[in-house]
Amino acid sequence: MSDDDHHFESKADAGASKTFPQQAGTIRKNGYIVIKGRPCKVVEVSTSKTGKHGHAKCHFVAIDVFTAKKLEDIVPSSHNCDVPHVNRTDYQLIDISEDGFVSLLTDSGNTKDDLKLPTDENLLTQIKEGFAEGKDLVVSVMSAMGEEQICALKDIGPKN
Amino acid sequence: MQGFPDRGGTPDLAQLQSTMHAIELACTSIQMHMNPAAAEATILSLSQSRQPYQACKFILENSQVANARFQAASAIRDAAIREWGYLTSDDKINLISFCLGFVMQHANSPEGYVQAKVSSVAAQLLKRGWLDFTTAEKEAFFNQVNQAVSGIHGVDVQYTGINFLESLVSEFSLSTSSAMGLPREFHEECRKSLEMNYLKTFYCWARDAALSVTNRITESDSAIPEVKACTAALRLMVQILNWDFVCNSSGGATSTSIFQVGGRQASDSPKRSECNLVQPGPAWRDILVTSGHIGWLLNLYSALRQKFSCEGYWLDCPIAVSARKLIVQFCSLTGTIFPSDNAQMHEHHLLQLLSGIIQWIDPPDAVSKAIESGKSESEMLDGCRTLLSIATVATPSIFDQLLKSIRPFGTLTLLSTLMGEVVKILMTNNSEEEAWSWEARDILLDAWTALLVPLDRNGGNELLLPEGKNAAANLFALIVEAELKAAAASAFKDDADSDYLQASISAMDERLSSYALIGRAAIDATIPLLSRLFSERFTRLNQGRGIVDLTETLEELYSLLLITGHVIADEGEGETPLVPNAVQTHFSYVVEADKHPVIILFSSIIRFSEQSLDPEMRQSVFSPRLMEALTCFQLLHTLVRQKHICLHIVALDSWHDLANAFANEKSLLLLNTAHQRSLAQTLVRSASGIRNSESANQYVRDLMGHMARYLVELSSKSDFKVVAQRPDIILSVSCLLERLRGASSASEPRTQKAIYELGFSVMNPVLVLLEVYKHESAVIYLLLKFVVAWVDGQISYLEAQETAVVVNFCMSLLQLYSSHNIGKISLSLSSSLLSEAKTEKYKDLRALLQLLSNLCSKDLVDFSSESIDTQGTNISQVVYFGLHIVTPLISLDLLKYPKLCYDYFSLLSHMLEVYPETVAQLDSESFCRVVASLDFGLHHQDTEIIDMCLRSLRALASYHYGETRAGKAGLGSHATGVTDPSGNLQEGIFSRFLHSLLQLLLFEDYSPDLVSSAADALLPLMLCEQGVYQRLANELIERQSIPALKSRLVNALQSLTGTNQLSTTLDRKNYQIFRKNLNKFLIDVRGFLRTM
Repeated sequence: MSDDDHHFESKADAGASKTFPQQAGTIRKNGYIVIKGRPCKVVEVSTSKTGKHGHAKCHFVAIDVFTAKKLEDIVPSSHNCDVPHVNRTDYQLIDISEDGFVSLLTDSGNTKDDLKLPTDENLLTQIKEGFAEGKDLVVSVMSAMGEEQICALKDIGPKN
Repeated sequence: MQGFPDRGGTPDLAQLQSTMHAIELACTSIQMHMNPAAAEATILSLSQSRQPYQACKFILENSQVANARFQAASAIRDAAIREWGYLTSDDKINLISFCLGFVMQHANSPEGYVQAKVSSVAAQLLKRGWLDFTTAEKEAFFNQVNQAVSGIHGVDVQYTGINFLESLVSEFSLSTSSAMGLPREFHEECRKSLEMNYLKTFYCWARDAALSVTNRITESDSAIPEVKACTAALRLMVQILNWDFVCNSSGGATSTSIFQVGGRQASDSPKRSECNLVQPGPAWRDILVTSGHIGWLLNLYSALRQKFSCEGYWLDCPIAVSARKLIVQFCSLTGTIFPSDNAQMHEHHLLQLLSGIIQWIDPPDAVSKAIESGKSESEMLDGCRTLLSIATVATPSIFDQLLKSIRPFGTLTLLSTLMGEVVKILMTNNSEEEAWSWEARDILLDAWTALLVPLDRNGGNELLLPEGKNAAANLFALIVEAELKAAAASAFKDDADSDYLQASISAMDERLSSYALIGRAAIDATIPLLSRLFSERFTRLNQGRGIVDLTETLEELYSLLLITGHVIADEGEGETPLVPNAVQTHFSYVVEADKHPVIILFSSIIRFSEQSLDPEMRQSVFSPRLMEALTCFQLLHTLVRQKHICLHIVALDSWHDLANAFANEKSLLLLNTAHQRSLAQTLVRSASGIRNSESANQYVRDLMGHMARYLVELSSKSDFKVVAQRPDIILSVSCLLERLRGASSASEPRTQKAIYELGFSVMNPVLVLLEVYKHESAVIYLLLKFVVAWVDGQISYLEAQETAVVVNFCMSLLQLYSSHNIGKISLSLSSSLLSEAKTEKYKDLRALLQLLSNLCSKDLVDFSSESIDTQGTNISQVVYFGLHIVTPLISLDLLKYPKLCYDYFSLLSHMLEVYPETVAQLDSESFCRVVASLDFGLHHQDTEIIDMCLRSLRALASYHYGETRAGKAGLGSHATGVTDPSGNLQEGIFSRFLHSLLQLLLFEDYSPDLVSSAADALLPLMLCEQGVYQRLANELIERQSIPALKSRLVNALQSLTGTNQLSTTLDRKNYQIFRKNLNKFLIDVRGFLRTM
């Protein structure tokens, strides 16, 4: 994915094409859903008792994958919901700057320098130390609806 | 915090006073929340110092701070239990009589909790010495108590004496005894001895105490001090009758009588309310039954009833509550206390009680009205409990007859009207909170259940007389009415209470089966009633279609279906239910099938479900989820469980339509995933109805082949990595995996071949999916569960070559999974997403462990024609290798999930027990993990986990010992220890665990149940590492500074290995001897070793 592409997709109205319609009744716990324009991960679904009013309603409790805010929504089970297209890409970690920005190696051999590590101090020191010790680290970047964030980190053994 | 000086000698007054002040200060500062940790340490150091008795006595007698006295008493208890082994017998007796004397002297003290504590300390110490004291010594104590209880020293002392007996009895009763660090046998001995020699005496003392004050209570118009003593006496009697009597025949300890008179309590009958049978045996007949004791009790209560208007008495005052409790217990009296040749005695006993309590519940309408207008319900509830007790000990006909001698109707009629009143109350104010009517309904339902549950599996229950049947029929009609009304009312309620609903479903199920029992008792009336109600609503549905809102009717139908289901069929969990006896035997006079009431009912229900298949009807009336989820799939699922039904089903066109739709129609993909799975399972299982094995396999291929091909095609697409993340693709992949899992779990020998091919064809796609969805934990879990189910169904049938394929596949799966997840840290900002991620990991790992266990079972059950060794597959090596991959993924945090921990340790201990020889071949890295796991497990708080680790140690050590004795290497370098690259000597496994096991046994807390398995592990460990054991024993002795204790320890260590002809072999007898030795050893030395 080149930088141009990325630029194009993060335009304000491009978010819509980043989602798919899916029937509310088929969205499960641990799936994704758009609530109030935000991409969320569903942590709880309750469906109203069967046999009531002919239609069941789904009550979703979900967490914004980027901001960690909790959001809720109630949708009739036969209606469509927007489901965000969530992608994860692994990059090798090349460098960590003082202010927490990282330098990542893309598949095409370029570097990607616009992402920051999480703000949790403890974790940050741990990562920096591991990196300084010469561990080979792989970073997973989650992207959805035009936003990106580092979501996981993996240690694939000492640097050779 | 410094400890208090040991009290070996006689301390001076100043010392005692300073100790007292320190403790008082600590107690007050705890109350004020000032530095509580330090204060607790001060108090703890008192109870841990040596012989603190002088100081404690001083505090008890002189301190003005009640809490300090409480703590002093508690310190006496702790110290004495710990040091019991080397207190002189004078010391022991002194301590007990001090405590007893103290409570008697301070009988009028206002601080009840200090009194209760000192009293219970006396009781515990008396029990601790119970088996050592002579009869004369015990008699001396009991004389003192008897005098107190008889009342000659006044009411307060009397009350104190009764209280002491109460703590004593609860201390001797197994379920309420306090831990003393002694084996179970000790408690058992004490219990038996008290029951044989003292219990009846105590009962008589309590009865006499109550008798002695009865007159004064009945004659006075206000509450007097005697009431307190009388209440305590009644409570003690209740407690004694609650005793778990074992020696209930005069000869000795036999418990056969439970099957004679009191045999109505089937162990598996559904019970919600407690109803303990009281079975003290014939020795108690004279005081409980024939002495007029019950008459006195009933008179006492009716006298109390008159006083409820007086000051100091009310319906729920302690003495009334205790008296009612005792009356209820008398109703549960049964067993050999009533002579088997004199049935009248029991009937007379019950009749006397019933006439005593009848005004509590009769007439039912007046009673319920009084409660609704404010009267306390407790008397009525106790009345219901009495009925329950009588129903439990008497047969239905005796139960019914009892009341006939005093009323124009039978007891069943009373039970029916009483419950009818309760149901009416429930109907009118069906509020959410727990009301008395709920409790009354549950108790009364239990009474019906006790009466109506069939006595044994094949014999029917005795039939009720017409009057009883009538009562049951009336009640059932009322219940159905109430349920329907509730259902209709719930139709428009919003769904805010859905959580609550989930929780109460099992309770409702239980309740419905009790209703069903009542319904079956009057089956002639019930079935037509249900048919009528059902067809009424069905007609309403058809007529009102499109005109009126039918939600209420649908809810009513749903509720009716549930009730009907329970009446006509038993719930068989995982088993095939039979037609209940009541239904089978009752309508035998009906010859023509289409006039059979049950068949009429059935056919109307089936017509109803047919309607749901009509698309137009479904659109307009039914909620699709109601019909599909509740009726169809659950019905189908049950149907295919029976082979002869399968035979018919697979011949039906509609079944083929369903199968076809399942294989080809997209719309079924919208079903809930759990239903996908169960539908696949149902359809595959129905293949057992196809006679020809070849066509059964073909049927499965036709059904599932399409889906497997889809997965293969999908995963081989070049752009799969890109499209895979699309929600619609994720959804269909999840559905397919669920279906594959369902199909795999329905594997049967006949269709095994087709299902093997099915799984085989998706092996590669599965690995591709595992790679592509490595971040999509929900898909990964489904995938793992499919593989687990598939391997589980296949493994024992596979031939050697197929096994090798499956094993290789599983290992690649494990390695791939591990490479994705090892060392991975989730960086989400949200704590709930983080914990979610942890739960997902836990579920995955459990599935992986299950996979390994399934592979493991190949060695136990194998139907293949040749041994798998021909392909060079060694299951134990494979599983060890799998464990080697999985173990690093299991973090200490994850082991906090009890199920995962249990699965892990049971697999590990199974492997170590069955294949100790493979351990010898493990490389040092894997071996270290095994050792670390065992070490972790040994210090786990769950007894079962520790037990598994101990069994593993026993297996390893005894294997090694046996091998080395035969001149072989055993565990080789793992046992002797190795020098690691940095030059440090790693201790061998056995010396390491010998050390930590001894440490655990002597110095740490553990459940006494573990001592036997610890002994079984310790013996081979000691034999393997005799030198190390000697060294450890010497260290223990060296550490002991007090000469008296040192010599005790030396002797104890000597007798641990030197008594009872303990030899150096590892046979059953030797293990047994060692268990006995270790038990004695621990009792001897643990007490003083732990405090040093």
